[in-house]
Amino acid sequence: MRRFSLSILFLLAAFAAGCAALPPAPAPKTPEEKVASTPVSSSGAVVALADSARTDVAAGNYASASAALERALRIEPRNARLWHELAQLKLKQGDASQAANMAARSNSWAGADKVLRAANWRVIGEAKRALGDETGANAAFDKADKLIR
Amino acid sequence: MKRFLRVALLIALLAAALFALYLDWRVTDEFTGRRWALPARVYARPLELFPGAALTPPQLVQELELLGYKRGIEGMEPGRFEPRAGGVDLVTRPFAFWDGAQPALALRLEFRDDRLDALWDQGNYTELKLARLDPLPIGGIYPAHNEDRVLVKLDEAPRELVSALLAMEDRQFYSHIGVDPRGVARAALSTLTGRGVQGGSTLTQQLVKNYFLTPERTLRRKATEMLMALLLELHYAKDEILEAYLNEIYLGQDRNRAIHGFGLAAHYYFDKPLNRLTLADSALLVGMVKGPALYDPHRHPQRALERRNLVLSEMRGLGYITPEQALRAKAEPLGVVAKPGIGTSPHPAFLELVRRQLRQDYDEDDLRSEGLKIFTTLDPHAQRAAERALTNRLAILDRARKDGQPPLEGAAVVTSTATGEVQALVGGRDVRYQGFNRALDAQRPVGSLLKPAVYLAALSRPQQYTLVTPLSDERFVWKSRGAPDWEPQNYDRKYHGRVPLRTALAESYNVATARLGTELGIPKVLETMHRLGIEHELPPYAATLLGAVDLTPFEVTQMYQTLASGGFRTPLRAIREVLTADGQPLKRYGLSVEQVVEPAPVYLVTAAMQDVVREGTARGLTAFLSPTLNIAGKTGTTDELRDSWFAGFTGDYLAVAWVGYDDNRPSRLTGASGAMTVWGELMAPIAREPLVPPLPENVEQVTIDPRSGLRAGFGCDGAVELPFLAGTAPVAVSDCAAPPPPAPEKKEKPPAKSWWQRLFE
Repeated sequence: MRRFSLSILFLLAAFAAGCAALPPAPAPKTPEEKVASTPVSSSGAVVALADSARTDVAAGNYASASAALERALRIEPRNARLWHELAQLKLKQGDASQAANMAARSNSWAGADKVLRAANWRVIGEAKRALGDETGANAAFDKADKLIR
Repeated sequence: MKRFLRVALLIALLAAALFALYLDWRVTDEFTGRRWALPARVYARPLELFPGAALTPPQLVQELELLGYKRGIEGMEPGRFEPRAGGVDLVTRPFAFWDGAQPALALRLEFRDDRLDALWDQGNYTELKLARLDPLPIGGIYPAHNEDRVLVKLDEAPRELVSALLAMEDRQFYSHIGVDPRGVARAALSTLTGRGVQGGSTLTQQLVKNYFLTPERTLRRKATEMLMALLLELHYAKDEILEAYLNEIYLGQDRNRAIHGFGLAAHYYFDKPLNRLTLADSALLVGMVKGPALYDPHRHPQRALERRNLVLSEMRGLGYITPEQALRAKAEPLGVVAKPGIGTSPHPAFLELVRRQLRQDYDEDDLRSEGLKIFTTLDPHAQRAAERALTNRLAILDRARKDGQPPLEGAAVVTSTATGEVQALVGGRDVRYQGFNRALDAQRPVGSLLKPAVYLAALSRPQQYTLVTPLSDERFVWKSRGAPDWEPQNYDRKYHGRVPLRTALAESYNVATARLGTELGIPKVLETMHRLGIEHELPPYAATLLGAVDLTPFEVTQMYQTLASGGFRTPLRAIREVLTADGQPLKRYGLSVEQVVEPAPVYLVTAAMQDVVREGTARGLTAFLSPTLNIAGKTGTTDELRDSWFAGFTGDYLAVAWVGYDDNRPSRLTGASGAMTVWGELMAPIAREPLVPPLPENVEQVTIDPRSGLRAGFGCDGAVELPFLAGTAPVAVSDCAAPPPPAPEKKEKPPAKSWWQRLFE
């Protein structure tokens, strides 16, 4: 009997905790964040290389990060996500023109993945802004918005 | 008179002193840094090992054997492997890569369905995600006289090697002052008695001779040599001099590469590091010092063996080794590895490309002396496939001719479609020949290879042209001011009336293409060619449309690279990274892409190029490759059948092949009968991925009845799926149950401003 009531108590507590976790909506994620939270690939080798690239980026070691991503791309040349990661990296490196081109390349392999395509258009938008093309940047951001609306 | 003599003597002494000072300066200046010019070492791509990699056990074993891995695992000794049921065990060699070092790994590889299935680290029984083999050295960029060496320290040299050297070349080494008085006396005697200037050299003198001087034999040079030897001894310790000697001495010739120093000689003759040489090995190398050509163990094994045993006897006589040691060593075979001579590189044509790309960033002198490590994109498997295909196919083509024609020549380039990395390059049928590099330097008329650019320019105007737009293949005369009239002919000398656009490309109709190109405007088409990556100037004439322009196979490859990567121009690269001699990262050559054409028209022209292989001029390719690869390609044939070309790509590789004669005489081959056979044989062992370009969002597939060019309706046999830009496909449906209506002159309903058009604006 004691055990029974205890388990009810636990159930109730769990329910309450579940309720507490549900309602307050988390801050809306950008497409880039959504993309980053999904696995890069089903290949362990590619995941390992993308992870090491991320570590390199965090340490500011962009050359190593590029090398790791390009190594991953040689394994999976049609992986839209890897092209996107390279585009992001180029943006960080200040190479806006390559960032836009890599994002476009990612889009060509992205298929029906609207979130990834939106993220790519946002990279293109930022790249165009960096290149001083405000109109082009706004058009790119609009495209991103339309894709995830 | 006396006074004059005294002045003369004084002047002579002064001159001698100045000369000695000059020599002293040279000795100390050049010897103190003791920096040997070290060649840049060039490596192929390392083989990546990971679960899922397209790799079979035989391919792996081939790569391991190429790398010189030996059969039989011996503990953790690197560079060994052993095939097992379902897999291969191996211990990798440690290697410092651009992005960090990988230690020796004991790996167990398991395979399934032509793929690497699992990768185990036997050191700690964990499954690995990724590992690399050490990269295959594919040559070097060498200093003057192609001197090659592997620097060693004195303490790395086996004691027996040093004692053998002293026994044979200079027994008084540790006691003399640089020259041996008795040797000098002997040399003087032989000179005076007219037997020439010879003999009596100490190690120090030999070093001076090799290091500082030219190999002429005059009395003056001999005197200089002695003086410098004395100076060298004055400034440096015996061991420093000995170490320099070990690294400097010339020990043989590998084709055009000069083997210097015992460190490299140990690798070259025995495939061992210096410290692992046996007594017999050491004796053999020391015996060769006197005459590396005379005692070459590859060419004169008997003479080399006798010389080796003489060295061993001398060592025993001096008490450096025991009689038993001598006896045992004499009983050993020569033990030299039978390596095919590779000279400065087994793949000189690819190396030339590497050197040219490096020269954009580095001084030629640095390349030849700084010991840089160059990591390239060469795939040894693809390179071998390309070399074999070219030599084999040219031999077959030659045999089929039997009319006293000289041997044909050819060239081939293979790249990765996604990254533009050059994986193989062959510059002629003698693949080891270092001379004329046809892949890079043979400028030849390209013929129909440029046609895809004409059709791409057309398909970039989707409101006017689709894959089924009828084109006119009727007699055509192009008149332009200041130029003779131009009347192109088809290969079969016939006209074909109205043909669908895709058929005109598939069958490579010249007349229809010329009409199309002039309709589009020649400058417009040339601009498309430049966009695709042709940097070479293109003559602004109509004949250029049909390829009356000279390009190299490499330039053609760059153009097709853009098509193969969906409209993204990707510069062809042969180098990935450069490291300094001590392993510090120096430069990385990264991937870059530039979207130069919209994806949709590239997708359409690629579909038409797939028709070339499926049903057009390249349908013979099925003899070599499965139709499931969906290859896109184009044949090229030039006037009077001089040049035979084929360019094409699968999902993973792009290759361009050329066959013809250096002197431009007709090869009497079409693209399909010549270069295409090279291409097919080259691609067969390497291509794995079918070509499935990503469908652009504004392209739709529509089922078309090829007879009417309309949408296939009920009862249409042989209907084909063709891609169209959304809104540009024919609207009318072909009623195949009824007799086919006449082909429409124009599309029924050119849609006004479709959504995709607005998209681009």
